[in-house]
Amino acid sequence: MGARIEHPTLYGEGAAGPALYGARCAACGRVSFPRQSFGCEGCGAYGEAMAPVELAARGTLLSFAFVRKHMGADIAAPFAIGEIRLDDGPVIRCTLADALDERALHAGQRVSGVLAHNPKSGADVLELRFAPEGR
Amino acid sequence: MARALSSFRPVFVAGVGLHPYRKYSPTPYVALGLAAVREALTDAGARWGDIESAYVASALLGMAPGRPMLRHLGASGLSITHVENASASGSSAFRLAALEVASGQSDLVVAIGVDKPAMVELGARQAVLDLLERDRVSAFTHFALLAQRYADAYGATPEDFARVAAKNLANGARNPYAQRREPRSVADIVAAAPLAGFLTSPQSCPVGEGAAAAILASEDGLKRLQFERKRTVRVLSSASRSERLYDDEGGFDAALTEETVRDALADAGVSPGALDVVELHDAFSVEELLYTERMGLCDPGDAPRRLKAGHFDIGGEVAVSASGGLIAMGHPLGPTGLGQIAEITRQLRGEAEGRQHPDAKTGLAHMVGLGAVCVAHVLQRDAE
Repeated sequence: MGARIEHPTLYGEGAAGPALYGARCAACGRVSFPRQSFGCEGCGAYGEAMAPVELAARGTLLSFAFVRKHMGADIAAPFAIGEIRLDDGPVIRCTLADALDERALHAGQRVSGVLAHNPKSGADVLELRFAPEGR
Repeated sequence: MARALSSFRPVFVAGVGLHPYRKYSPTPYVALGLAAVREALTDAGARWGDIESAYVASALLGMAPGRPMLRHLGASGLSITHVENASASGSSAFRLAALEVASGQSDLVVAIGVDKPAMVELGARQAVLDLLERDRVSAFTHFALLAQRYADAYGATPEDFARVAAKNLANGARNPYAQRREPRSVADIVAAAPLAGFLTSPQSCPVGEGAAAAILASEDGLKRLQFERKRTVRVLSSASRSERLYDDEGGFDAALTEETVRDALADAGVSPGALDVVELHDAFSVEELLYTERMGLCDPGDAPRRLKAGHFDIGGEVAVSASGGLIAMGHPLGPTGLGQIAEITRQLRGEAEGRQHPDAKTGLAHMVGLGAVCVAHVLQRDAE
C-alpha cells in the first residue's frame, strides 16, 4: 500500500485488520497497552516476562467526548475521542472516525479500528481511528 | 499505615497566609512567596527566627527556588526542603511539615507554596513510553470523558455540571484571594466557550500565579508563640496515596479519592457527615460531583440534586469549596493545597470574613495530582 503508519510502535496492520501492540505478562496474565518491558503494573514482573501480543482493534465504547478546542496542528477541532475497552482487555483512548454524528454514539456500542488517512500529517500517513461497527 | 498521625504528639496550624491568586504578572515569585510567609508569621504571632524548618512547594519554578526567596526573611540557617508533587505539591509540603512537628523533631515548621505559570517537561514525557493520543486528550478532555460517563449513569444535564462552577464562582466573588471574582449564571456557563463534551471554559480552573503558607506548631511551639488557644486548629490526620489498578480504569481519580479520603477520615475518627467545610480538587466541574459522592458526602448520583438544593453552599449542610475552589480561587499548582489549608483554618476559627460557614468545626482538604497521586488532611477546631 506504500502508506506510512503514524505510530508504528503502537499499532499496524495485523493478520485480521488493524492491531495494537501490547504485552501479556507471563507471571500474572495481565494484558497491557502500550507494549513495554519495564515491568508489569499488576505484579512487577519485567523483561522477557512481558511477552509481545497483538491486540485486535475491536471493543466496546465506554465514553466519548467531542473536543472543541485543540492547540496542536495534527488535527482540526472538532474531533471526537473515544474511551474503549478492547475485547483483549486494556482500556484505550483513541480518536474516532471523522464526521460522526454525536447523537449516534452511546456507551456500550461496539466499535472497531480502521487505519485512516490523516491529511494533516501528509496524504500518505495512516493513523488508527475507531468507529461504530456496521457504520 | 503502621501509625496514624494522631498516634504522635498533636500538631496545630498556628498561622496561615496568602498572596492573592491572579493571572501571570512580571512580579517575581520571591515577592509572592514572601507576602504569603509574612502574612502567616503575623497571623501566628511568630518571628522568622522562631521557624526551624521550611518545606517549599513548587511545580513550575525549576530547581531549588526556596532559599533565594527565604533568605530575604533573614538567613537563619533553617532546614529547607523542596517538594514537587504536581497539583498536590502544597498538600504534600503541608503533610511533611506536619509529620516533622508530630515526630518531635521541630516545634515550628512552615510549609510554603509558590508558583508562576511556566511550561515544564512532564516526567511522563521522559518515561520513553509512546502513548496513543497523548496530545489529543488534554486534561479537559479526560474530564469530559468522565462527565459523559456520569451523564450516562445518572442522567446528569449540562446544567448539572455548570452548577458546580456557578456555586464556586459565587464563593470566589466573596474571597479577596480568588483569581476569578465574577459570579456567573448557570445559563451563562453552559453557553460559554466550549472545551470538550459538556465542559465549557468557566468549568475549568485558571492556572495563574500566587502563594500560600501555613505554620505548623506543636504544643510547645504554641506556648512559645503565646498563641491564643481558641484560635487553634488541630491537624487530625494526613493521608497520601497513589493510583493503583482499578476495575474501572478510566475512573481512577474518583477511586483514588475514595481510598485516600477514607484513610484520612478513619485516622481522624471523623465520619463524612461530620464535615462542615470541604476544599476539594475541582480543577474541572465534574470532579466535584464525583468526589463529593465518593467521599461519602452524599449517595452516588445524588450530588446534582444536593448541589441544586444548596446543600453544598456556604450555610448549607457542608460548605464545599467556600474559597471558590480551584475553579474560582484558581490553581497556581504549588500554592493550591496550602491555599485550601488557609481557607479551612480561617473557616474553623470563624475568621472567613464575607464567606463564613456558620459554626464550622471540622474540615477536609483534598488534592489530586498528576500521576495520579492524592493527598487529604482533616483539620478540626481545637476542643478547648
